[in-house]
Amino acid sequence: MTRMIAMIAAGAVVALATGLAMNMPARAQSGAVASAITAGTVGEQADGYLGIAGSVSADVRAEVESINIKRRAAYTDLAGKRGVTVQDVAAATGCQTLSSRVKPGQAYRIGGGAWQTKGAGAIALPSYCATAN
Amino acid sequence: MKKATIITASIASLALGGCIQVKAPDKPIEINLNVKIQQEVVVKLQRDAQDLIQNNPELFPQ
Repeated sequence: MTRMIAMIAAGAVVALATGLAMNMPARAQSGAVASAITAGTVGEQADGYLGIAGSVSADVRAEVESINIKRRAAYTDLAGKRGVTVQDVAAATGCQTLSSRVKPGQAYRIGGGAWQTKGAGAIALPSYCATAN
Repeated sequence: MKKATIITASIASLALGGCIQVKAPDKPIEINLNVKIQQEVVVKLQRDAQDLIQNNPELFPQ
């Protein structure tokens, strides 16, 4: 019995350590994603997800995918609470990121269109964002 | 004279009135409501989206 508890405790410690070890590089990499956004190689899309706009390292690519998976989970959660589709939540978030988070010089994409670089003015948002602010 | 004027005026107005025709268009009128509904849903979700971004900064690096 004591042995079993000890094993469970050891398992928990290993799991915790693994979790920490896995989390730490991811945390370090999100800075790399931020740098890529600043550089315009990663950008926000109107669909509510991040996209690869230029040449990026495998690490950045993996982190972008990881962030998008987490975003989808957050969108799904909110969609369930509001009784709307995940796409609607994602699109509403896309309106927000394009209108208030993309800075001049950074890349963004609307629909299946080409990547664009934000200029000094506001991004021309899709019509469904009409009163978004 | 006055009577004749009135008669003439009423005949003229009758003739004019009779000319107005309302014709149904050949093609059926289509109103697309899907876009409107989608827009309303997205607009209502804007505040939620703002909160989501603010509460999850790690998902929205800048």
